[in-house]
Amino acid sequence: MDEESVRKFVAAYLKKKGFKQTENAFQEELNKNTNNSSSPISFNSQFDPDVAKHILSFSEFEDGPAKYQDGYAKLRSWTYSSLDLYRHELLRVLYPVFIHCFMDLVAKGHVQEARTFFNSFREDHEMMHLRDLQKLEGVLSPSHLREMEFAHSLRQSKVNIKICQYSYELLLQFLHKSQSTTMLGIINEHINFQVSPGQPSSISDDAESVTLTGSSQDSANQINQKEIHWGLLEDSFEERLEKAGGLLLESEKAEGETKEGDWDENKKKSIEGAKQGSSIKKLKKDKAAGATGKNVRPEATPVATAPRVKAELTLPVIPTEVEQSILEDLRNRVQLSSAALPSVSFYTFINTHNGLNCASISHDGSLVAGGFSDSSLKVWDMARIGQQGVDSLQGENGTTSSEQVLGSNGGKRPYTLFQGHSGPVYSATFNPLGDFILSSSADSTVRLWSTKLNANLVCYKGHNYPVWDVQFSPVGHYFASASHDRTARIWSMDKIQPLRIMAGHLSDVDCVQWHANCNYIATGSSDKTVRLWDVQTGECVRIFIGHRSMVLSLAMSPDGRYMASGDEDGAIMMWDLSSGRCVTPLTGHTSCVWTLAFSGEGSLLASGSADCTVKLWDVTASTKLPKTEENKSGNTSRLRSLKTLPTKCTPVYSLRFSRRNLLFAAGVLSKTV
Amino acid sequence: MSNVPKEAIEVVAQSIGISNLSPDVALALTPDVEYRVREIMQEAIKCMRHSRRTVLTTDDVDSALKLRNVEPIYGFASGDPLRFKRAAGHKDLFYIDDNDVEFKDVIEAPLPRAPLGVSVTAHWLAIEGVQPAIPENAPIEALAAYSDVKKSEYKEDGIPVDIKLPVKHVLSRELQLYFEKITELTRRSSSTLFKEALVSLATDSGLHALVPYFTCFIADEVTRNLNSFPLLFALMRLVRSLLQNPHIHIEPYLQQLMPSVITCLVAKRLGNRYTDNHWELRNFTANLVSSICKRFGHVYHNLQPRLTRTLLHAFLDPTKTLPQHYGAIQGLAALGPSVVRLLILPNLDSYMQLLEPEMILEKPKNEIKRHEAWRVYGALLKAAGQCMHDRLKMFHSLLSPPAHAIWKSKGRVATTMTNKRKASTDNLMQQPPLKKLASDGTGGAMPMNSMQVDMQGAVGGFSSSVGGLNVGLPSMSHQLPKEHMSGREVSGQMVKGSTVLAQAWKEETDAGHLLASLFEYFGESVFTFMPKSELSLFL
Repeated sequence: MDEESVRKFVAAYLKKKGFKQTENAFQEELNKNTNNSSSPISFNSQFDPDVAKHILSFSEFEDGPAKYQDGYAKLRSWTYSSLDLYRHELLRVLYPVFIHCFMDLVAKGHVQEARTFFNSFREDHEMMHLRDLQKLEGVLSPSHLREMEFAHSLRQSKVNIKICQYSYELLLQFLHKSQSTTMLGIINEHINFQVSPGQPSSISDDAESVTLTGSSQDSANQINQKEIHWGLLEDSFEERLEKAGGLLLESEKAEGETKEGDWDENKKKSIEGAKQGSSIKKLKKDKAAGATGKNVRPEATPVATAPRVKAELTLPVIPTEVEQSILEDLRNRVQLSSAALPSVSFYTFINTHNGLNCASISHDGSLVAGGFSDSSLKVWDMARIGQQGVDSLQGENGTTSSEQVLGSNGGKRPYTLFQGHSGPVYSATFNPLGDFILSSSADSTVRLWSTKLNANLVCYKGHNYPVWDVQFSPVGHYFASASHDRTARIWSMDKIQPLRIMAGHLSDVDCVQWHANCNYIATGSSDKTVRLWDVQTGECVRIFIGHRSMVLSLAMSPDGRYMASGDEDGAIMMWDLSSGRCVTPLTGHTSCVWTLAFSGEGSLLASGSADCTVKLWDVTASTKLPKTEENKSGNTSRLRSLKTLPTKCTPVYSLRFSRRNLLFAAGVLSKTV
Repeated sequence: MSNVPKEAIEVVAQSIGISNLSPDVALALTPDVEYRVREIMQEAIKCMRHSRRTVLTTDDVDSALKLRNVEPIYGFASGDPLRFKRAAGHKDLFYIDDNDVEFKDVIEAPLPRAPLGVSVTAHWLAIEGVQPAIPENAPIEALAAYSDVKKSEYKEDGIPVDIKLPVKHVLSRELQLYFEKITELTRRSSSTLFKEALVSLATDSGLHALVPYFTCFIADEVTRNLNSFPLLFALMRLVRSLLQNPHIHIEPYLQQLMPSVITCLVAKRLGNRYTDNHWELRNFTANLVSSICKRFGHVYHNLQPRLTRTLLHAFLDPTKTLPQHYGAIQGLAALGPSVVRLLILPNLDSYMQLLEPEMILEKPKNEIKRHEAWRVYGALLKAAGQCMHDRLKMFHSLLSPPAHAIWKSKGRVATTMTNKRKASTDNLMQQPPLKKLASDGTGGAMPMNSMQVDMQGAVGGFSSSVGGLNVGLPSMSHQLPKEHMSGREVSGQMVKGSTVLAQAWKEETDAGHLLASLFEYFGESVFTFMPKSELSLFL
């Protein structure tokens, strides 16, 4: 290509774009250059005529909005008529091209054309990406594009698409032959092909490969390379219980002597279930406070396969008698399996008038808290209701309510009323001992309440927007909160400032859950991802991509290896923390999965949903199988649903396995459902 | 371009006092309005989710507005009726209908009832994985539905599952009440409520748990109350309703149900009074039996053989009473023409010999016996007629010109049968309980009287004798006269050309024999009843 033609292109381009001044400047420069008769533009010699043609055509058609419609329509019809074997791979390309075409059109101000374009092709993608499309549909001006986070992040990042060598070549050939520079441009700009040699991948991988999360896949992959220690804490309760096994009294006495005061209350139960047929190990753990550090002991239970890690947080001290009672509970725990299903006790809220936003059950099931949209938090003592008839109960409450600091209308209420928030209460959580409650609210605060004193103790301010979720750590003392301000924060009860702020989600953080060893928290977000954060460093250590809608609930397996997450569509995914991959999706629910809970030894997963059912899933079938894939081929790794327990028009808001493996559930009787 | 029409912007502008809004401004605003509305709704949906709801309320929209630091919209509550009105003549233009309210009215309006306070109740959703049937839990049918779904899921997955759990059979209180009500109504049987109960039994889902109880109930009551005719009839209706219900899998209980049903068909005595119309009950039950065989015959291969054996045994046993014979014949007839042909017709000869003396006894004390005999005779006639009708239909498809020779005899037999029928009904007409049959008979007789086309009349009469099979007949009645006419005209030559279509011939001759024998059994005694004119036409 000679210099002259380049000049012509540039001049034509500038003229076309209306860059008058630049054009003038360019002309001047040109004149100067010709005077000097030296060519500053030397790079052009590398261009081949083909590219020149593209550039030419680019300048010719560049802003014709019809070009997008035509180009996309052509690409689409070509894709649909391509070979069966490769079609599904090529189809994946369509969606990103589609949305970027649309955004390009909007960005260039052809709003009317953009709308037409969008409506004519949206049907293709509705099945997979309905929610995204609904969001994008509203984008009607270039300013919206800049403003809308979702669109912005789409523009910024590239989509990763796995495609086989041949499909890739087919696509390139088509693009070159059909001169679709617009499409080529979009594909180059926004799609990152991971070309793999050999056969095209199977269709079943589809969902995974086309999830557009806005976050760059590369960085997600990179993050997921980080090492995490998912093992249980050294010397947990469970471990101790196991050791104590035969000679209970002795060992406990001995332990009591050696480390009195050092026990922390980590009640994470770990189960290595399947392999050792030798029942469940109740691993007990006692973690020496960092300061004392003296009880770093060698792995005492050879059967325990879960690795042990040290706590990165200073863990709180728990009283000996509490510890004893926890040990007692663990000793008496019912062994659950696919053949031995748990008993479920259901707490039904009635007459809530649509006001109940959340329900929470204490670890022993004796207390139930409800957060209401009228800013109140109400706590029922189920043990008391169980003991006495309603009449005597009300009589007695006359006296108890006088102790209520905040109960204004003193009187006959079967519950304790906590007032203090100034907005709907969205979440409540009990500490392991049941003497504290945390509640989070739309007023952007988290409040700590004492069930002993019936009083508000602390108000934690830090979030800027409604706090959607708050969770006590498994050892108490620490808690995590998740907010509309797109952060999750770690707090301790004794400080009114957050200890860590986890920022990185692209939309609201909707739910939060602690890892069994307290070193990590997981957060689920409206950006459809789940992230795992290191509590000590505040870094994101895993991104789990795969949900198709807002993540509503999370649960960590007691052995610390797996995590379950439930979304708005009713899908539940089981993740392997170490690999960051989805072990298996669980389908069955037809509506929002509000809550998930693992049984004490981790053999069952319970899920509660807006479709008015509690489902029990056999986790051992799904999680253990991948390791023993050899003996069972095929898709047996799918989690199997053991039992569906329908309720009577009662969406299930909350589930909790007690330490003895009794399952508590709570929900609101709703007549309309 | 935007889903918001610019008129809507103008309306809002007017409502807040901007009267001179230029159209360009409205047009420019529409896309932004749409975007903002969508944005607010997206936030509102988030708030809805965090309130653990699946229905969007105005509160959620208000919360979303607060999130955006926008003043909430006051004055709307989720329970209110819609206050947006569509502007006449516009598709997507709405306005708020703001009514004036008298201040006094508001003040003087009585306070609404205080809402009930929130409370919590506890119950067992499941005990070791099994849901107890308590009012707090979802009713059993829901459980059944779920377990069905689950079973099929498992099958798809191909995962071996131990479905069999020792489930305690529990009946919800509602079902128990239902059962009691139904049984009580059955015992009283005649009320209109009972009819509704039958409809409910035949259509309601979720009654499956009660089926074993109903089966026991029916068996018990039938054995205990053989002389209470209304109860027996009610019980049979109950059985029919259960069979009709598409939600019930009754197969496992058929075993227990069949004895009771057969009892009601061939029992020696049903009801204790002479006026009890046990014939009707037997007819009803016969239909029931045939429907059971039709539905489950292919599932239980030995069902029909066993049934036929039982009935045939009753039929052939001369020591059994005539009503028992009647029931057996009706039952066999209901099982289809081929059963009749194979089992009844061969025995017809001997049976008629047995029956005829009973029929012609005229002594007053044997009036009942005679009545019974005529009944049996009618049933036999009907069975044979049905069988014939079946054969006739078959021949129509096989019919070929050479075959016409036989038409004469066939026509004659058909007519004789009709007339015979008429005879029997004439006879029976004198007896009050037989109104129904009698009317059947007269219905059949009327076309005969008119008799403008010979065969048509015969077929008309025939049709009345075969009751429910009318459907097939219209076509036949058209075809038959025509062919018959031609048959008569050309019969001379045609007889000779009959070597063609040997198969058809064979069939026809078979039928011819059959007809002849039938004619023999039934015909002789009836010829006297036939009008001379008609006889001459056919002979």
